[in-house]
Amino acid sequence: MKKVLHVALREFLATVATRGFIFGILITPAVIAVMIVVMPRLMREGPPKVEGEVALIDPTGEVAEHLSEYLRPERIAARREELKKKIDDATPEALRVVAATTPQGSSAMRQSIDAALGDAPKIEVRTLDSGSDLEQAKAPLGEKAGTGRGVERGRLAVAVVHRDAVVRAAGQDKFGSYDLYVRGKLDDRIEDEIKGGLKDAIVAARIRASGLDRALVEAVTHVDRIKSRTVTAEGESATNEIFNVMLPAGFMVLLLVSVLTSGQYLLTTTVEEKSNRVVEVLLSAVSPMELMVGKILGQMAVGFLILILYAGLGIAALVSFAMLGLLDMKLLIFLLLFYVLSYFTIAALMAAIGSAVNEMREAQTLMTPVMLLIMIPWMLWMPITRDPNSTFSTVTSFIPPIGNFVMLLRMTSTSPPPLWQALLSLVVGAVGVVAALWFAAKVFRIGLLMFGKPPTFRTLIRWARMA
Amino acid sequence: MGDAIVLSHLTKTFGETTAVADLDLVVPEGGLYGVIGPNGAGKTTTIRMILSILFPDRGELQVLGRRSALLAKDRIGYLPEERGLYKKMRVGSFLAYMARLKGADGPDLKGRVRGWLERVSLAEVEGKRCEELSKGMQQKIQFIASVIHAPDLLILDEPFSGLDPVNQRLVRDLVFEQHRRGATVLFSTHVMVHAEQLCDHIVMIHQGRKVLDETMVRIRAKYDPRSLIVEPMDAAADVLALGRVDGVLSVRKDGAAWEVGLADGTDPAALIRTLAAAVPLSRIEVRRPTLEDVFLGIVAGKTPASDEHARLRAALREDGSPTEVRS
Repeated sequence: MKKVLHVALREFLATVATRGFIFGILITPAVIAVMIVVMPRLMREGPPKVEGEVALIDPTGEVAEHLSEYLRPERIAARREELKKKIDDATPEALRVVAATTPQGSSAMRQSIDAALGDAPKIEVRTLDSGSDLEQAKAPLGEKAGTGRGVERGRLAVAVVHRDAVVRAAGQDKFGSYDLYVRGKLDDRIEDEIKGGLKDAIVAARIRASGLDRALVEAVTHVDRIKSRTVTAEGESATNEIFNVMLPAGFMVLLLVSVLTSGQYLLTTTVEEKSNRVVEVLLSAVSPMELMVGKILGQMAVGFLILILYAGLGIAALVSFAMLGLLDMKLLIFLLLFYVLSYFTIAALMAAIGSAVNEMREAQTLMTPVMLLIMIPWMLWMPITRDPNSTFSTVTSFIPPIGNFVMLLRMTSTSPPPLWQALLSLVVGAVGVVAALWFAAKVFRIGLLMFGKPPTFRTLIRWARMA
Repeated sequence: MGDAIVLSHLTKTFGETTAVADLDLVVPEGGLYGVIGPNGAGKTTTIRMILSILFPDRGELQVLGRRSALLAKDRIGYLPEERGLYKKMRVGSFLAYMARLKGADGPDLKGRVRGWLERVSLAEVEGKRCEELSKGMQQKIQFIASVIHAPDLLILDEPFSGLDPVNQRLVRDLVFEQHRRGATVLFSTHVMVHAEQLCDHIVMIHQGRKVLDETMVRIRAKYDPRSLIVEPMDAAADVLALGRVDGVLSVRKDGAAWEVGLADGTDPAALIRTLAAAVPLSRIEVRRPTLEDVFLGIVAGKTPASDEHARLRAALREDGSPTEVRS
């Protein structure tokens, strides 16, 4: 046993204490951190400063006034603020509370409104005669825009309201609409504003023409968006849709990344030992089984390190969003158990492959089936998360080695399976581990000393029978 | 004194080919045994079975009194034919790692590693990565790795392959030193000269079967071809006339020298005097059989074709060149 630990320790240090590992392991969190810092800034960036006019050819004469009111900078800014609020509503409660209740939060909000106002586009509506030549009106759109100092100027768009847009033509069920011609590279947010303004103005004109009360119509057609509440045996709670998707995804990715990374390292070091011809020297001191188990344990420590680093990051993020309560500690324990099981299965296969080939290149063909095995849970993701307790989901969660991934998906879903199923999945997974280790040990023993033609999977199975 | 290795009826097949067939072997404690035979004779397979790296299909074995080498691993040192080092590992930590795997842990481990490095005059490489060493240095490190735990049984598979003459001598001295310390040494080689220089007991394997198992002394006595090598002072001398001397069976030219075959019952010492009197000679000596001769003599019956003979002879020399090798 002591020898196994010596092997494991060497394996761990040889993997972790390399520049490649440290760089690789730090770069991912670093990229995520950069994304977290930079992305909101990029997203908060308003549309480019725009000053210009929208030419309107309006035979109905009903649209122009409403449109220019709609496109007033103050109105645009106000609408943007409203949108922001909606986004805030979708963000976790804890965040919103912080932003809204603290004095700094509310003043920050006001500041951002001012900022939005300052940046709001200045769009003038120029009404052309209803008989104006469309081609002539469109001509300035194609001209090289007078963009000085990053500010767009000049004619941005030409809108032509149809004659029957406000009052239906005789004998027609449908109202007319409008045509819009815009300058190339017009910011899509500006275009949306113009479209929104035209729609709003036309709707307002139609309501007026029909003799209805707009406020009433809006009130009648409006139903509040509500948040569903999940009812479970333990009681009811607000459904957090984002979290429901994120949690299984996060756990799956954690499991896969750690299993794959450490499995890959195991493959590499095994191939290296073989191609370095150091393996027989080792075999004089330890049995193949001791060597294999030692290597698997060493790489498991590497996987744990990755798991702890990344899971730790995730938990830190949850703590910072005050959402730790959403995380079930039981799930974390199962994550670790499933990690151990799926890691041992994959690692055993990797060790078998590594021992059978002479160099990494030859490992690729043998790796494909293992990789497919690992990819299966990804393919099953949607059907399983959508219906975590279907017969299909239940059956697949008892098939090693994917069963552990499936069970983890099901357990993180809103309707987790009964505990006995989770435990059964663990047992089946453990049986799978024993089988994989048995197979790997046989192949490992023979493969390590075999040089020459890389074997096929069929040869590996023959070796397993032979040893 | 007991036996370090006992093999009985050991058989191993790989698919169709029989690598080792019905092999019996006893190596007493303190022995210095050489297993010889051409490439592919089954030497490495035998050694791997002794070490329980491979398991025999049939037969029994005992190593250091245990039923399997796995139970005595820490007392065995092994230098495999296919040997290497961890490229990125530092020499000192590699040796310490190997010692730990052999159960030779302890507070003095570092000192022992340094001591060994000093003995092979490589003290300065302790902190270097293994890949930075020259091939000869790497071979020395590998040798140290196999003996750093002071094993009772040292098994060396082709210890001299890939070494230049200087390093061959160094390894030979180190092997002798281990033997003097009391270790049982078993080594394999396909180069007969190495075995002649090193062993006191020879085991020959050919096509998976043991064809010879004798002490060096008895081999010399038993396989004495009873011939003398003579070189006349004057190249034009009538050496063939020696054929008429009483007790001479044949006279045959062998390069610059002549080989004089002795009739049964002839005393070589008396004949030497007679021959020297008959023709002035610059050189005369009793021809000693080389292991190569012995080996070829044994397998000759099984391989009558002369080109097969030549191929075997080439396989028993390090570089395959047809130069004469004498002990």
